[in-house]
Amino acid sequence: MIVEQVLAASVIMTTPILLAAMGGLVNRRAGIVNIALDAKMLVGAFVAVVVSSATGGWFVAVLAAAFAGAFVGYLFALVITRANANMIVAGLGLNVLVAGVLGFILSWVYDSSGTLRLPDVVLLPHILPQSLEAIPVVGEALADLDPLTVFAWASVAVLPFLLASTRIGLWLRATGNAPQVARAVGLPQNGIKEFSTAFAGFFSGLGGAHLALASIGLFNEGLTAGRGFIALAAFYFGRDRPVVTALVCLLFGFLEATQIRMQTAGLPPKLVGTIPYLFVLVALCLAGFRNQRRKALS
Amino acid sequence: MDDVTIRLGARGLSKAYGAVEANRDISLDVAPAQIHAIVGENGAGKSTLMRCLQGIERPDAGTIIVDDNEVTFTQPQQALNLGIGMVHQEFMLAPDLTLLENLVLGDEPERVSLGVLSRVDWGVARTSGETLAAQAGVTIDWSRRSASAPVHVQQFVEILRLLRRGTRILILDEPTAVLAPQQVDDLFALLRRLRDGGTTILFISHKLREVTALADRVTVLRRGEVTYQAAISDTDVDTIASHIVGGGDSSVAPVRRASNRSSVGASVFDVTGLSVPSIDKSHALHDVHLSVKEGEIVGIAGVAGNGQDELVECLVGLRAPGDGQVRLRDADITRASNTERRARGIAYISADRRHEGLAIDASVEANVIAGSQRSATLKRGYFLSAARIRALARDRLERLNVTFGSLKSPASSLSGGNQQRLVFARETDGDPSFMMAAQPTRGVDIRGIEAIHRILWDFRDRGGAVLLVSEEMDELLALSDRILVMSDGRIVGEVEGDKADPQSIGRLMVLQDREPEPAHV
Repeated sequence: MIVEQVLAASVIMTTPILLAAMGGLVNRRAGIVNIALDAKMLVGAFVAVVVSSATGGWFVAVLAAAFAGAFVGYLFALVITRANANMIVAGLGLNVLVAGVLGFILSWVYDSSGTLRLPDVVLLPHILPQSLEAIPVVGEALADLDPLTVFAWASVAVLPFLLASTRIGLWLRATGNAPQVARAVGLPQNGIKEFSTAFAGFFSGLGGAHLALASIGLFNEGLTAGRGFIALAAFYFGRDRPVVTALVCLLFGFLEATQIRMQTAGLPPKLVGTIPYLFVLVALCLAGFRNQRRKALS
Repeated sequence: MDDVTIRLGARGLSKAYGAVEANRDISLDVAPAQIHAIVGENGAGKSTLMRCLQGIERPDAGTIIVDDNEVTFTQPQQALNLGIGMVHQEFMLAPDLTLLENLVLGDEPERVSLGVLSRVDWGVARTSGETLAAQAGVTIDWSRRSASAPVHVQQFVEILRLLRRGTRILILDEPTAVLAPQQVDDLFALLRRLRDGGTTILFISHKLREVTALADRVTVLRRGEVTYQAAISDTDVDTIASHIVGGGDSSVAPVRRASNRSSVGASVFDVTGLSVPSIDKSHALHDVHLSVKEGEIVGIAGVAGNGQDELVECLVGLRAPGDGQVRLRDADITRASNTERRARGIAYISADRRHEGLAIDASVEANVIAGSQRSATLKRGYFLSAARIRALARDRLERLNVTFGSLKSPASSLSGGNQQRLVFARETDGDPSFMMAAQPTRGVDIRGIEAIHRILWDFRDRGGAVLLVSEEMDELLALSDRILVMSDGRIVGEVEGDKADPQSIGRLMVLQDREPEPAHV
């Protein structure tokens, strides 16, 4: 019983982190460390709730969230590529700016502080028949499977090929790995960076939509709870390789699921809630040690 | 074959950066399918000429000729389109991509065109790579990550990439600097095959043995001008060397001011058996012995990059020696820090004025008192006194007649000569007993040079000991009481200053070049 529930929750909790991480990974391959994934997730979540409520269609809502994220990502990229802003400072700025703007819209347009509840929000559908629940261990997870989760894992399978074998994948890797070489062979570097940042925004927007529409159906200012940063830790630890990164995301998803489980078991919730973040710290330290050793060896 | 007589050439090409004339009225003809070597010391204008030929710089005057036609390049792309490609000293390969990915980057073969989403046809890519490699007579493991491939293979791939994109005129900038002897042989074999296949090659080097071994013709640049051109079959290493170092030209040679030999005193600075391993791309030093006495200027001559920089760094405490001893008077300072050495009376004129000699964006005042900020004379109580700093700064600057606008203006606002005088003003204060002067007149105009030479002489005549590293033969001859010649990290000869002539020193500089150290692969 517990195993089934934790497994199902782990899969669901993994999806938003995984989507943001895939986007951020592509972005970093092109040479941009995107610390504003969280902001784009938040934008995605907000847009998803608003559009879902207004149109009554989950697919339109998800698409709108993705493009809103991509748009914010593109603007963010312009600040870095055309205005030569520092990517960390600009990312920090975007995180603060988005939180502020959304808070403002909430109070000004919806007259609410912090939480946005709208009528008729359509949640993500479950794509498999609910009768699958009967299957032992994985049944509950299968029955809960939503389209975005499937899409997220499909992207994990496809991204390695896209990066390795398509022209844009090659250009992206060259731009991030050796900017002076990319310039020398005449690649449109700014365009590549902008595309990759918009791509990261698109995926983060999807992640945000999943957060809002997977089960709760509302928007909250603290909805992302730093998941964009957890995603960042995941692809840092996974060294920008999609499959390893996905496994790290799964670990973080599992930690979140167990953490919630432990809270309901009566442990101090705030303290238990820090577990995933603690592991992010551990993962980053490990990644740091590993890089140091690599450098020392070479 | 086309019947072109000049594949690539220049007519009356001139280019100045500020007051420095990097290229002056340069004319050059390179025939098709020829290997043409450009030789000259650092700063002779080789790089500027190459940058003009590639359209990276626009010449102030003169024209460039491609296939017998005059052309004007407004951007590098135009040179590329005409088939001019350059292999840089720092290779232009992305380290984390494979050699094959690097080969096709920017011009990828595709089976179905979907724009940027096209799938790269790695099969076709590999075939074209294999074909090019076969034509060049080399074998390449294309799946290897670039960073893990040996340096000469990286170089081959860069050459093949240029050929694949239609380069007919290949410019190589000191291509052997990073290669081991066997790798050099492989590179030369490849270049000869390419030449025989019709590629025209411009080869920049200062290793004369390589030039005579590979090139068909040679052009010597010195101080921005062509001083010599000949077919390799009509010339020899001695002749080329003498044109590289020059020196016979008495009109520009500074006047020599000999020391009063009787004032040469006890030994101040002694180096015994100094050896340093090669780290990264630095040059190793082997068993260097030298000593500098009171009232003496000892010059170090050598082709750039033969260990001079590393020697200077060792002597001023910026690089740890592997073996050997450095003594200042009676004290062993082999392991002493730079700060400690300065406190004991070592002055240092850095060759890199903009980065090491000065904090170029900081004020004149800050630069000239730098290093004295802990001195009690500048303090009032616990705090530095602005008035005392100003007074000391003025005092130092006036002593060496540095011309400056305001104490608060940045050091970069001064002319090159005044910047260097500022450095001397700071370094000679407090009566140091030994001065390490590296390229003290680099980038300084004639009047500034005279002033700096006078400062060095005055310092010597007051009993100071000077070790002077310079690439300017005339400067070494004018200033030095003794000249040591450095080659491949060793001191290979010593000549008395008044008996020295450029030819004999030039011969020691270039002819002692032994087998280079194996490069790190």
